[in-house]
Amino acid sequence: MSHAQLDPVYAPPFPEGALPVLRNPQLRKNVAHAIDVIQAKRGRLVAEKTDWQALRTSGSAIRAHALENLDYYLEQFEERCTAAGGHVHWATDAAEAREIILKLLREDNASEVIKIKTMTSAEIQLNPYLETAGVRVFETDLAEIILQLGQEEPSHIVVPALHINRSQVREIFARTMGLRNLSDDPHALTAAARTYLRQKFLTIPTAISGANFLIAETGGVAVVESEGNGRMCLTLPRTMITVAGIEKVLPRYQDLEVMLQVLARSATGERMNPYTSLWTGVVPGDGPQNFHVVLLDNGRSRMLTRPVERQTLKCIRCAACMNACPVYRQTGGHAYGSVYPGPIGAILTPQLMELKHAQTLPYASSLCGACYEVCPVKINIPEVLIELRAQVTDQERKQTLRFFDPLYLGMRTANLLFARAWRFHLAQRLGRIGLGLFTGKDGWIHSLPFLGAKWTQTRDLRGLPQQTFHEWWAARERGSK
Amino acid sequence: MLPRDYVRRGSMIREACLELMVERLREYDAEVVECSPDEIPAAIAAQLAASGRKLFVAPEGLPAAWLVDGVAWKIDRRLTTDEIEEAEGVVTAAFCAVAESGTITLHHSATEGRRILSLLPDWHLCVLRASQVVETLPEYFDRCAAPPALVTFISGPSATADIEMTRIKGVHGPRFLHVILVRDAS
Repeated sequence: MSHAQLDPVYAPPFPEGALPVLRNPQLRKNVAHAIDVIQAKRGRLVAEKTDWQALRTSGSAIRAHALENLDYYLEQFEERCTAAGGHVHWATDAAEAREIILKLLREDNASEVIKIKTMTSAEIQLNPYLETAGVRVFETDLAEIILQLGQEEPSHIVVPALHINRSQVREIFARTMGLRNLSDDPHALTAAARTYLRQKFLTIPTAISGANFLIAETGGVAVVESEGNGRMCLTLPRTMITVAGIEKVLPRYQDLEVMLQVLARSATGERMNPYTSLWTGVVPGDGPQNFHVVLLDNGRSRMLTRPVERQTLKCIRCAACMNACPVYRQTGGHAYGSVYPGPIGAILTPQLMELKHAQTLPYASSLCGACYEVCPVKINIPEVLIELRAQVTDQERKQTLRFFDPLYLGMRTANLLFARAWRFHLAQRLGRIGLGLFTGKDGWIHSLPFLGAKWTQTRDLRGLPQQTFHEWWAARERGSK
Repeated sequence: MLPRDYVRRGSMIREACLELMVERLREYDAEVVECSPDEIPAAIAAQLAASGRKLFVAPEGLPAAWLVDGVAWKIDRRLTTDEIEEAEGVVTAAFCAVAESGTITLHHSATEGRRILSLLPDWHLCVLRASQVVETLPEYFDRCAAPPALVTFISGPSATADIEMTRIKGVHGPRFLHVILVRDAS
């Protein structure tokens, strides 16, 4: 099973993108299972944390403060990181980031790199660019090598290979690692990956990482992980290149006391993830001696100028919103056509695209608000969704062909009918007669023609009652006189 | 001033806090034994003997008394990666540990060793003093006089749930963690 690259420029509208998954029982089962496991764990740990809401409040405040003073904190980060022996580069957009990274790899004579999972590198589409330039990229996260070796796309931020089951993994490893007698037991599969990757860690001297947090106060970089491949990549190589969005900055080291508590509980339902590493510049004798940070803008500073939408940048990439979302539960991640799926993707992707693409994503929501409730940094995702919908609608207003758009026609018609009470009552009566033609003896409408078919394809509609409430009340009043 | 109404200081009594620490360590299959300060070398010797392993690396600043007999030692005076890769285990001290999450923090000082030392070997023995144990994560940050240049937080062996959400332990990094909790005066 393979999908087109998760590129919002080419991805189909969300309803279309969701169809393959909605029709795939195996995948829907995998997605629901994974979500249930994480949700249960998260629920227990959040209940146990009596100061959870206070942590969310502080998490939100720290992130908002950092964003409000981003220029100051970024410059402080650059100064401190440089003083500690690191090199900081600024990339306006994805293309510039890719070029900087390639240039650094060339300076290092690197024909191979090992990589820790980073959403940011997927956002800038780094891997294909490097491969084309003749640099072999070895992903080292278990899910990432499954995806890489199996030539698949990720479906979830935290559990990217969630849509691939054990026998599919077995098949991929047996084929690419040449292990004919490999069983499909997850332990055996993991052991195979451990052996395969150890050789890479010990021999490839150049690594690329992302960052969970950049610490302005110290110029430090924090990486949060479970598998240990992060520790391998940031300890063994000679050269480390870290690519990070500018919004990743935290003012102080101590701010991690909030962020780390909420991140692990939200992302994987643990009190703390197995390994968290923090390093500052270059430390003689320990770890990479050649260290570069590429700070990526790619639309973020523009997002900062938008009063309602800028809260999107508070995101710490925990994916709790995805696990809470009833839409995501049904559709999985591919449907969003972006490396950032789910509720956060529905607001982040369109903004990164300057609303030139991914305009259907703000509509991929019932506005239930579950995402907002679980967000550890209190991003009001529904508020941003509505704001983006308004902007998409404004865009559509300018289109000359809108007269032929069913939604536009429907809205104009409704406007006409609702403007006068008599029109509305007439429409109700006519509608009752019309729909009565389609209502079965059981009181349900199972099939409608034309536009109505879009609803009744997957749902039944209750037939309209004999009287509206107003009619019933009026009759009752008359009856009692 | 940013709001900080979350719990900063723990409220458990000392003994309960230490019990919680041990409980959390055992929850992720670390083996924990306790001893008094003068029993440290004996406790280390017992752990090493029980491991069945023969060759260990040690940080440059590990106390000499902890380099017990009965096994071979490589002291990290600029060991190469290959030399560390040959070792079967490592013994280190720690900076601090957080009971609430069962987190051991390493600042990679002379007694804790370079990061590679506690990463490559498959077996890690950590000597943790009771006085280094705090209840909450904010208390760890209070203990940092200044932010460290290098930090590793360990809260269990590495793990993945990437294959069908089945939790597998020990992907990379030491698969076996042993902790000696030294009952020093808190």
